[in-house]
Amino acid sequence: MDLLEVSGLSKRYGGIHALSGAEFSARIGEVHALLGENGAGKSTLIQILAGAVRHDGGTIKVNGALYAPANPDAAHAAGISAVFQELSLIPDLTVEQNIWFRRETLSPIRTVRRDELRRKTLALFEKYAFPALRPDQEVRRLTLAERQIVEIAKGLASDPAILILDEATSTLPAREAEWLLGLTRRLAAEGKLVIFISHRMAEVRHIADRLTIFRNGTTVGVHEANAVGDDEIVAQMLGRKLDRLYPERVPTATDRIALKVRDFSAGRRVHDAAFDLREGEVLGVGGLQGHGQRELFQALFGATRSRGQVEIWGKPVTISNPRHALIGRDGLALVPEDRRGQGILLTKSVRENLTVSVIRRFSEFGVLSHAREQALVKEMVDFLRIKTSTPEQLAGTVSGGNQQKVIFGKMLLTEARILLLYDPTRGVDVGTKGEIFQLMRDLAAKGYAILFYSSDLPELVHVADRVLVMRNGEIAATLAGVANSEEGILRAAVFEAAA
Amino acid sequence: MTAMADQQEATTPGTSRERSRAISWALDRAPFLVACLMLVVIVAIYGTLQRDVFSLEEINLDVTATLTLLLAATGQTIVLIRGGIDLSIGGMISFGTVLAATQFGSDPGSVLLWSVIILCIGFAVGALNGLMISVLRLQPFLITLATWSILSGISLIILPTDGGQVPAFWSGFGGAQFLGLASPVWLLVLLMLFWFWFRSTRLGIAIKATGSNEKSAFLSGVSLTRINVVTYGLSGLFAAAAALYLTTQTGAGSPTIGKDYILPSVAAAVIGGVSLFGGRGSLAGTVIGALILTIIGNLVFVLHISSYWQPVASGVILLLAVLASSIAEKAARSDEQ
Repeated sequence: MDLLEVSGLSKRYGGIHALSGAEFSARIGEVHALLGENGAGKSTLIQILAGAVRHDGGTIKVNGALYAPANPDAAHAAGISAVFQELSLIPDLTVEQNIWFRRETLSPIRTVRRDELRRKTLALFEKYAFPALRPDQEVRRLTLAERQIVEIAKGLASDPAILILDEATSTLPAREAEWLLGLTRRLAAEGKLVIFISHRMAEVRHIADRLTIFRNGTTVGVHEANAVGDDEIVAQMLGRKLDRLYPERVPTATDRIALKVRDFSAGRRVHDAAFDLREGEVLGVGGLQGHGQRELFQALFGATRSRGQVEIWGKPVTISNPRHALIGRDGLALVPEDRRGQGILLTKSVRENLTVSVIRRFSEFGVLSHAREQALVKEMVDFLRIKTSTPEQLAGTVSGGNQQKVIFGKMLLTEARILLLYDPTRGVDVGTKGEIFQLMRDLAAKGYAILFYSSDLPELVHVADRVLVMRNGEIAATLAGVANSEEGILRAAVFEAAA
Repeated sequence: MTAMADQQEATTPGTSRERSRAISWALDRAPFLVACLMLVVIVAIYGTLQRDVFSLEEINLDVTATLTLLLAATGQTIVLIRGGIDLSIGGMISFGTVLAATQFGSDPGSVLLWSVIILCIGFAVGALNGLMISVLRLQPFLITLATWSILSGISLIILPTDGGQVPAFWSGFGGAQFLGLASPVWLLVLLMLFWFWFRSTRLGIAIKATGSNEKSAFLSGVSLTRINVVTYGLSGLFAAAAALYLTTQTGAGSPTIGKDYILPSVAAAVIGGVSLFGGRGSLAGTVIGALILTIIGNLVFVLHISSYWQPVASGVILLLAVLASSIAEKAARSDEQ
């Protein structure tokens, strides 16, 4: 008998079947990978298992007993703990308060014992060799990667029999991702079941014992990990063969400089950056995480303060506010890091999200023209192949990859021709990734200028024309041609002398 | 991350790291610190204009004058930390004073019984607010606006004009002293003790967590309905307590007096550094805020200027406080990595 048995599971959101008759079973002591494109139903399955949403049909059995959690507490009681992709941490509580939230040890007067909180946190960190974190730091002060680690600690705190890791490595730097993979193997060896979701095929191959593949809400394949090839997995995920992930890179850069940056500094994290971004060029930004890439993007967009000279299409500009950056064809548009926090309004419709920054384009004398708005929205939904039942569907109910497409659409509608893309493929499935890369190259061919940060080295190497490598807030090297390789980027990111 | 941390360690000397930690500590509490500073300045000005400001007697007087607002603002603080707002306390305060002034009689047993009843009604009305906010999924602003209006109307039906009476021992409450401190000061001490206990209970933490990020709190297993019921229930309870205390001061009921406490209760909390967006703030700040608002009133009095200047001064203070917290917020954000 398997520890977890899911059969015929269904869940509908409005007219869309997120799950229809999904099957899944996994046993004690294994790492079981769950694969599928965004929108295939993985997230829905996890949310049901974690008690965050309830299923419409089918059965779940844990240890042979029927399981239908009414809320997250019931899931905990059954020994199931999920590390969510959209983090479930409380920004204003500290690391230790978050980890033990609602499971704290109480004193005789029913207050939370802080000494116990600290002791248990440090014990947990030590037991699983967690990366260094201050237990008394408030979570809102942490980076995305640090938050992910706290989320993992929170998932482990209840010592669950089944641990679900949803895209847990996607925000982690290389060393911490490595740690998590080791931890995952160790947990399985200790007799836990780890359900592992990742879009990084290499990781999955590295640690999974078995894998289950979802497509369109149903199970399309279950394999022993060492008995199936990458091509077959991808073909099952997509329902077709993926020709190639990276588009052909035809140089389209002209001599015209779209964005000229000199002596550019922002806060304590970006120092004296200087570079030119040309029309038709995809300029990559790489380096180890946390070396000023995020601050560079935010400062260029006007979200944080900066000093230095910036010229856009030959005109000197001061961007001190995102509103300045957004305006018209001579503007800049940004795809931000934290999709759910900054890029998209989950409780608004796809249409409203697309048009929120460009409302004035549909208004004449202050009156909105719905016909014009709808025409443009339709055009964008078709162009980007956004999967939605109608443009009125709430953005929060479409899949992660489709949300990212909505953000792209919103950005393109601003008509800005300089695009700042900050890790646009994070947490996006392989099919959509390919579409995004193709889109980037197509836009470049049309004369757009694209600044592109990615935490994934192969993406930079294969998609960008040149790559700026940042180290300690400075541009340590600019790599082009044969120098633009994974090894070259890493070398420049790590070693002082490389150039 | 360890790599990043190592590197920071290497590039920033320990002392500047310590300093930046101290700065972020101060930035986190900037609104509260600014409020303390404003209180000191106002008390200093008051002290130069009036004799015997720095005495136990002055403390007794000020706390006695502040306590109604402070009780109302305690409930409001809890609701604001939850990320909501409660306008119905205006109605509840009026309703409470009206019930007390018409039902107490002179028998201590009946006074005790009705005090308990009024507190229970306060909690029940608040709990109903919370329930409606959760079930109907409407804005707290609208729901509590409606209950405010309903309670005000009922108060006017029971007691159309200010009047009624409370027994003498009840009105004598504020004058009673113990160890040189008036009973309202002891109530304030009790209130602070309550707060220090409450904020470290699971419930206190869950309310703060829900105000900080509702969705995350839900995913962590918090029942939003239960949190709303308890949060607004407590607010109603404190409004009822404010009403009871108010009758010890005025000796009568008033069907319209409650509205004077709605916005000041929010102002006191905000001046003291409670965030209107939830998740952040403390009762200590609200106490400072309430004292500032009260002493501003004293100041206007000793300056012999028109009392209409009091709301003007309160407004300026509020603006300064909001400005300070927004500057601190921005600084804190750019300070974050």
